[in-house]
Amino acid sequence: MTRKMDGAEVIYADFIIVGGGAAGCMAAIRAKEVNPGANVVILEKAEISRSGAAGRGMDALNNVVVPGIGTVEEYVEAVTITADGVMDPTISRVIGERSFGILRRLESWGCEFPRGQDGNYIVNQFHPKGRFLVEMRGDLKKIIAARVERAGVRVFNRHPVLDLVKEDDRVAGAVAMDLATGDLRIFVAPAVLLAAGGGARIGLPNTGYLHGTFDCPWCNGEAWKMGYDAGAVLTGFEYTGTSSMTRDFNGPGLSTFIRHGAWMVNGLGERFMERYDPLRLERAPAGLRGKAMREEINSGRGPLAFSFAHLDESTIRLIEEGIYQAERPTMRQYFRRKGIDLKRHTVEVVMSEVYLCGGHGLAGFVGDASAETAVPGLFAAGDCLANPYGFLPGAMVMGEAAAEKAVSRGEARPSGHEGWERAKRLGQVIAQHRRGALEIPIRDFEYKFRRLVNEYVAPPKSEHKLGRFLQETESMVAEQDDLPARDPHEVMKAFEAKAGLFCARTAAMASRFRTESRFGLYQERVDYPQKDDLHWKTRVFISRGPAGPVLRKEKP
Amino acid sequence: MNLKIDLDCCTRCGACVNFCPGHVLAQDEGEKPYERYPQDCWYCGVCEVECPARCVEVIFPYLIR
Repeated sequence: MTRKMDGAEVIYADFIIVGGGAAGCMAAIRAKEVNPGANVVILEKAEISRSGAAGRGMDALNNVVVPGIGTVEEYVEAVTITADGVMDPTISRVIGERSFGILRRLESWGCEFPRGQDGNYIVNQFHPKGRFLVEMRGDLKKIIAARVERAGVRVFNRHPVLDLVKEDDRVAGAVAMDLATGDLRIFVAPAVLLAAGGGARIGLPNTGYLHGTFDCPWCNGEAWKMGYDAGAVLTGFEYTGTSSMTRDFNGPGLSTFIRHGAWMVNGLGERFMERYDPLRLERAPAGLRGKAMREEINSGRGPLAFSFAHLDESTIRLIEEGIYQAERPTMRQYFRRKGIDLKRHTVEVVMSEVYLCGGHGLAGFVGDASAETAVPGLFAAGDCLANPYGFLPGAMVMGEAAAEKAVSRGEARPSGHEGWERAKRLGQVIAQHRRGALEIPIRDFEYKFRRLVNEYVAPPKSEHKLGRFLQETESMVAEQDDLPARDPHEVMKAFEAKAGLFCARTAAMASRFRTESRFGLYQERVDYPQKDDLHWKTRVFISRGPAGPVLRKEKP
Repeated sequence: MNLKIDLDCCTRCGACVNFCPGHVLAQDEGEKPYERYPQDCWYCGVCEVECPARCVEVIFPYLIR
């Protein structure tokens, strides 16, 4: 149902999904299965068949509990090791229980899961413990998007969501901007799923190229900012992740290389992980691997590289096939340009910029077993939910779990009046951007806070550095609504930049609050060098209070 | 410039524009595709894959090359 309210278009639905990536699409499909009569809407800033972190494809499901190979208990244990004991196992258990069902579902839709010589799925080890990583091929996102269409979901492509709507402490909808015209549209529903990814553009990559990030650069924490503003609780922001990435390209490879047995070597040709974690080697938890890499680089033993010389040709073929065909075909061109042949050469690896991500780390909204946040009716899934290392299966499982609850409750539709109020306020902010009193490119604003993240928030951390970051960026918060935007695209970029700054500041606050070192490299505090299980084996929760952010321990 | 678009072979179908996840591309009045916001490109290769006539090649942002 569509109405006009004081000139703005208002669209009524039962379930609104913000972000049509893997989590959002699976949620939409599941919602229509559970309640075929439900009016389900996806609001997507790009185009759903190619959007999100898995938009171009993915060469594996990193975390599936395959019957006969792993158990849910083993999976939860493996994730707990990687999370250094700081996580709520509830969501990981749900992911463990439902992940194989997701695999079978994708297979029935046409995704390919190649079989080994024994006729079974190819399942490798990537986690510090247990085998949960299943090889996958096929054009994943196209396949899922076709299912969304078949299910009768209403999709609004090129509609970035700029804010949420609340009525009486419940979520009541969202306001999106039509990128083609700049018009605001109000979407009203009793249930909203935030599935708009993590925060990719937080730290600055060493190339200096702002969009050359490890994670999908078009997801920059906008969902976190709007959900936090609405009252949802964030956690894990001190887990400022970095990944070992192919130099400059900053693209995938890490999990592919490691699961197929590639070695990490230093400039002297030594397999340096032998020094840091002789048992788990390259499969050590990400934060420990990061710390080892930094030690090697700082001690002058770089550059570091992945080495494949000891692998047989069929394994190298599997690596190439996975990356070049299923995940990032442009990597083939890149290697060609650089004259790299995996059979004969090493691939130089560097630490990526700092990022925040639920699926590759610990950052995100606190949710229950159905991914519902502290705001009734507001759900989160994918990289914006704290679903520790949930990766793609976690996104899909929690998207489905959220949908089941969201469309089963039969909540009455909100009036939508608050939506109009929200749109009016957003209109004022957009007009301020159009005036652009700051008179600098959005890029400069973004470069500035991300450069400061590298200097002050990226590990090793300290009270002084984190405090400096918060102090230095305070004026940027005050002037951020004056960023100039000449067209709807630039309005979207201004909102992305503001969300990125919010995430960076939240990361600094959480890192400062946790007065201990944990997660290997990621929360390394020079002023609190020890891990303190007695006081800090607990998550840090961040919520919006009347006088600003409130930080507390989950368990005092 | 991150992409090489062969305008002789391009059919002006708009697929590269429609599918670009970064909203990087646009079509001009003659429906020719061009990089409107080149600094937002992630060199993911969707434009290349989606082009039915195979006229697009990712050549990477200069800072990445």
